[in-house]
Amino acid sequence: MMKGIMDWIDDRSGIRGLVKEALYEKVPGGARWRYVWGSCLTFVFFTQVVTGTLLWMFYSPSTQTAWESVYFLEYQVAGGWFLRGVHHYMAQAMIVLLVLHLMQVVIDGAYKAPRELNFWFGILMLGVTLALSLTGYLLPWDQKGYWATAVATNLMAEVPLIGPIIQKVVVGGVEYGHHTLTRFFALHAGILPASLIGLVVVHIYLFRKHGIHVKEPRPKKDSYFWPDQILKDAVACLAVLLAVVTLTIYFHGAPLGPPADPSNEFPARPEWYFLFLFQLLKYVPAFWGAVIIPVFLVVWMFLQPFIGKSKVGHRINVGFWWALIAGSVFLTFLAVSEDQANIKHGAAIEEAKWQADRVIEIANAEGIPPLGAVSLLRADPKNQGRRLFAAHCASCHRYNGHDGRGYPVDDPQSAADLAGFASTAWVTELLNYDHYVSDKYFGGTKFKDGTMARKVLAKYTEEENKLLPEIARLLADEANLPYEEKLEEEKRDELLALFYNDDLDFEDGRACIDCHDIDSEDEGSAPDLTGYGSREWLIAFIENPEDSRFYGKKNDRMPCYGRDDKLKPEEIEILVDWIRASPATP
Amino acid sequence: MTDSSKKQEKQEDRRKFIVTSTIGASAACALFPFASGIPSVLDPATRDKGNSEVPWTKIAKLSSLPEDGTPTKFEVILAKVRDAWTTYTDIPAGAVYLARKGEEVVAFNLKCPHLGCAIDYRKNSNDYFCPCHNSTFALDGAVTTENSPSPRGMDTMDTKVENGEVWIRFQQFVPNIKEKVPV
Repeated sequence: MMKGIMDWIDDRSGIRGLVKEALYEKVPGGARWRYVWGSCLTFVFFTQVVTGTLLWMFYSPSTQTAWESVYFLEYQVAGGWFLRGVHHYMAQAMIVLLVLHLMQVVIDGAYKAPRELNFWFGILMLGVTLALSLTGYLLPWDQKGYWATAVATNLMAEVPLIGPIIQKVVVGGVEYGHHTLTRFFALHAGILPASLIGLVVVHIYLFRKHGIHVKEPRPKKDSYFWPDQILKDAVACLAVLLAVVTLTIYFHGAPLGPPADPSNEFPARPEWYFLFLFQLLKYVPAFWGAVIIPVFLVVWMFLQPFIGKSKVGHRINVGFWWALIAGSVFLTFLAVSEDQANIKHGAAIEEAKWQADRVIEIANAEGIPPLGAVSLLRADPKNQGRRLFAAHCASCHRYNGHDGRGYPVDDPQSAADLAGFASTAWVTELLNYDHYVSDKYFGGTKFKDGTMARKVLAKYTEEENKLLPEIARLLADEANLPYEEKLEEEKRDELLALFYNDDLDFEDGRACIDCHDIDSEDEGSAPDLTGYGSREWLIAFIENPEDSRFYGKKNDRMPCYGRDDKLKPEEIEILVDWIRASPATP
Repeated sequence: MTDSSKKQEKQEDRRKFIVTSTIGASAACALFPFASGIPSVLDPATRDKGNSEVPWTKIAKLSSLPEDGTPTKFEVILAKVRDAWTTYTDIPAGAVYLARKGEEVVAFNLKCPHLGCAIDYRKNSNDYFCPCHNSTFALDGAVTTENSPSPRGMDTMDTKVENGEVWIRFQQFVPNIKEKVPV
């Protein structure tokens, strides 16, 4: 029965002959591991076509849905992270295998006559694969894709005469938008893979026409493609597969950064295999990087089969490729080590990671509004608090030593570090003279020479100093911070007595209350500490520190954010909620 | 057994081993890309909607319904709808007929239980009529003809009246089966 059907099909298609021809290709010198790269690449490309088509079922190319649909696949669809991870790491494997295949061809001399044409096709396919990678990492529309691709498309404009037109056609306009994604998607999932399929067909046809290029000496007697060479090919493919699956599981899929936000800077870095080009652009003008060097390389590669005719020429060719690889590795190393040494770059990466985690947390809980995930981050007080602090406070203040987001600040610190502001620990340290006049508190302000520093804190005896943490507990209790426990009524009264110095614990008879109010109507000359550090107190303080309730005329340089309309009332509230939300990190 | 035939047998065993491993490894490589996407592709079919409660939605004022029980058509605007990643607010999700019965209200889904066409209310004959395949329904939603294309009466939904406002739990049901089963 089965044989009958096969015969019927074979009579009409000649399929048996085709299969036989495909499988019984002669392999002179026997099957060898050095021949596996082409098959591996075919396998990897096949995987990319299949997984890419499956990803297509989930992807939605527009500026409000690209990141969102990828997020949904990654975090909500069963096994979505695995599917996307395989596609992501397989793409990287493809680059590595391309280089291996190319080097094998060059070292073995397989690029020379009569295989010149196939060598050129190979170079063309290398170009198409790089274009596939480039178009691929924009598609999630995350910060990395957005900013890195912006650099790449700006380079296109360097092409003489038609550059700006090419750029506009690829980007779909002047600015990045919906049509950038639809065009990149059409390139990535349509035009480029279709071209590559066509090129693969020609490449394999030409390969079969000339047969395998045998590297001498031949280790064994001749054999056939089936099954000896195919076994080696399949084992190599399995090894690639295993590596990709391991990477996918180890990193739990491909990374997804925060959604693209043109107003939120991100250090543009391409994928690792383009880092050498990125580094090169630090040394050469864009025109060289985008036009002269690529054109020179392409022309040189085109000429290689002819240069390789002589023994010396072949050596030059091999040397050229090794030099190119060594140069790329060196430039990549420079790029990575420069970034690693750059604290700001590290902070930016951390900040992006924080934003990605945060936006995913919100999206998981609430879903995403039609305006897109970027609007979630913009409306998020936690994210806005950090950004407001960095923009308006961090030129003088610090937060855990940084600008609120984790970035180091260029300006010297000239006001207090506000991480854990008004907490017991924070006030305890503040009331210690050495800390009070240190940079972490008032060392950068005129208060370091003020009454509180010189006439009060500096004069306390050891015994009196021991009382200060108690005062700190009272003040922190006024703040009513979400992460600290309230004092018992009795304890508070006891501490208040200390604040009023009822029992003359402070020997000179002076009390905090002489200058600072708590629960009293008098207007002391120093800031009123009733409700110190509470939401209401801090909002009022930031609105107008020059109010008689606070510093009055003694205000050093603190701007009046509310009174002078430097911040909107809701921005001050977000800032205050953010400052009060969590303790300092040790 | 001669040495040469032993050798031949050994060689055949080796070849068999090579062929089997080759087919095995190749098949694994060929199937893997498809397999890697199976859970994701089948996700909609395996996703359990869960026992999430159907929310109450405010539709109209009770006073806007005729006291004689004449049905009136209303849009259903859901406060919150999730479509994959997007959360929409105030989204039209369908329509209902509301008919007053004293201080209570009945709600019928506008969709015909046959194949989902929109049902009309006919004033002249005071009944419901589906213009696609001519199913007819009485005012209480029951099928009125014996050979009705519709296998069941019109789909009702939970209703309640609070402070003069009519609320319903808007739901869709599986079409073209005898029982009323939520989708």
